[in-house]
Amino acid sequence: MSITSDTITLFTRELLIYKKNIVPSVARAVIFPLIFILLLGSIGNIPKNVPITVVNYDNSAGSMGFINMLESGGSLSLTSVTNQQQAMSLLAQGSTTAVVVIPGGFSDSTSSQIFVYIDDSASASASVASSVIGAAVAKFNSRMIPGNLQGAGVTVITNPTYGATSNNISFTVAGILVLVATSGAIFGGGFTVLSDRELGNLKAFLITPINKLSLMMSKIFYGTMQSVFSAYAALAIGLLYGASIYSGVAGLIEIAWFILLAGFSFSCIAITMAVRMKSTQTYALVAQTLTLPMSFLAGALIPVSSLPAFLRPLSAFNPLTYAVNAVRDIMLKGLLPFGTFMIDSAILIVFSLIMLVMCALLFKGMNE
Amino acid sequence: MIEVKNLVKKFGDFTAVNGITLEIKKGEIFGLLGPNGAGKSTTINMLLGLMKPTSGSVYVNGVDMQKDPNKGKENLGVVTQETVVEPELTAEQNLSIFGRLYHVPKDELEKKIGFLLDLADLKAFAKSYAGTFSGGMKRRLETVKALVHDPDILFLDEPTTGLDIQNRTKVWALLRQINKERNVTILMTTQYLEEADQMCNRIGIIDHGKLIALGTPAELRQKTGLNTIIEVSADRDDLAKIAQAFKKMGLDPEIASNKVVASVKNDPVGTMEKLIKAVNATKVKIQSVSMHEPTIDDVFLKLTGSEVRDETGSYAGRPMVMGRR
Repeated sequence: MSITSDTITLFTRELLIYKKNIVPSVARAVIFPLIFILLLGSIGNIPKNVPITVVNYDNSAGSMGFINMLESGGSLSLTSVTNQQQAMSLLAQGSTTAVVVIPGGFSDSTSSQIFVYIDDSASASASVASSVIGAAVAKFNSRMIPGNLQGAGVTVITNPTYGATSNNISFTVAGILVLVATSGAIFGGGFTVLSDRELGNLKAFLITPINKLSLMMSKIFYGTMQSVFSAYAALAIGLLYGASIYSGVAGLIEIAWFILLAGFSFSCIAITMAVRMKSTQTYALVAQTLTLPMSFLAGALIPVSSLPAFLRPLSAFNPLTYAVNAVRDIMLKGLLPFGTFMIDSAILIVFSLIMLVMCALLFKGMNE
Repeated sequence: MIEVKNLVKKFGDFTAVNGITLEIKKGEIFGLLGPNGAGKSTTINMLLGLMKPTSGSVYVNGVDMQKDPNKGKENLGVVTQETVVEPELTAEQNLSIFGRLYHVPKDELEKKIGFLLDLADLKAFAKSYAGTFSGGMKRRLETVKALVHDPDILFLDEPTTGLDIQNRTKVWALLRQINKERNVTILMTTQYLEEADQMCNRIGIIDHGKLIALGTPAELRQKTGLNTIIEVSADRDDLAKIAQAFKKMGLDPEIASNKVVASVKNDPVGTMEKLIKAVNATKVKIQSVSMHEPTIDDVFLKLTGSEVRDETGSYAGRPMVMGRR
């Protein structure tokens, strides 16, 4: 009989067990991303409607566009005043976090510039303000000149984080999607191999006249399914919490594709490990030591730029990096350009195939 | 049905199975006995096609288990030692998944499941999760699960280990019924010698990887030269006196914890009468007297027990072999 029908039978079995344990299964798919998003989703994103004051001496279409851009993310709440003195007194009173001065000739001069005064006594608000302003400045090819207010406590932070123009939480959610997809594979794929071995089910399947590979495929599909479930649970939580997908519904489909690839390749890894291990403890230990560094190297939780310099090159060799980058770009910038899509997909597919072959070789040699 | 020729399995320097030759005929109930680490499990794994022999061959229904294990497996129903029913599936689902893995046609499978649940006396629990079943129910479910594809041979590894006497009797009845009504050849291993005695047409005893005895239970008893056993129990302090009485009768008694035991060759009933009179004359109070034919227990101890005791040093290798189950 064909390997396909045996795979379907064994996958049906996994689904029946999943259905029996629907409550803990769903809880597991939800709790993990929920914790991550609650704990990490708010990093750098607590303040909304940070008050800033704009003094527009230019009053051209260009400067209006610049102001619209500052307002667009919803992170800043803008007040316009007519002269700089008035604005600076607001800053001194603490009723505004930053003052942006747009001098005349902003839009026609080749080296346009703005002046920014930031009160950094409220560091979270200050960093939001500076990153949004910084991003807008970068977009307009303009130059930001840090202003100086008499007295201490005023500096300018000019290091806009990734995607600050949009919503910082989307950045975190994108990484968490991939992270929970991998852990879904580790739990769904690998652990069931071990528990089946412990219960003797593995032996029971091996004494039936089936191809061993159908057993492997059913486990890989189950792991992949868990990955996609967990990732979409995470996405749903993330969207409720305030993340957004730049490219809308089409983005959802593209994300599904990359989650599928990441889940599939990680299920292969998980099962490759589980085939050779006898105890759940060893497996959990190895799985943790593998996935945690991999997700950090992929920039799933924090940008790769904040890793130590000597570790950064490693991220290029980490297949997860491509999944994280793809999902993140889809959420923050819109659908991937065709070339990027093909390259990211190809890397993940090749990696999956290598892991699949390795897994199959180990599975063939497995006794019980 | 099953033909095993010169089967050898080595793990490095250690020879777990050392040249076993065996033939099991259609419709037989065959029992494979042996102490832990004797090579039972290794032999079984090779019979099932789960392990490749170092040399020798296994044919099941004429199929070479090395060349075409999957074809051989289609004729085998297996009940493993660990009760393997899926606790998170219902009784019905348990049977259905296995039926599909054995490629039983769909329309046939439905009828088959009903029949098997009936056979196992589990019809009322068809939709209950197997995890909620008692040990005996699980074992019965597992036993009929091995029949879902109508195998010619049923293979049971310690089918009643861990069951209470009621459930054990139920499983025995089930196996006899299967053997009789469906003419299924049964090969079983067991650690209960009483079970082998009651159930099996023939018994093979394995020790140190070799088949050291083969025959019907009666034949084996005869071969070991054991005669009727007489036992007299009494207070500990009186046992020596009773043993004296045994010796006067020309017997060779052994003193156990609370009884004196001896094997009697001629006229066991007459000997027993005289023995009781002799003991009564010494005014020792007898608690109980019994007389029985030698059991497989006695045979097994005689064949393997002494050797196991002699070779305490070889114990180092034994747990290793057990680990390979």
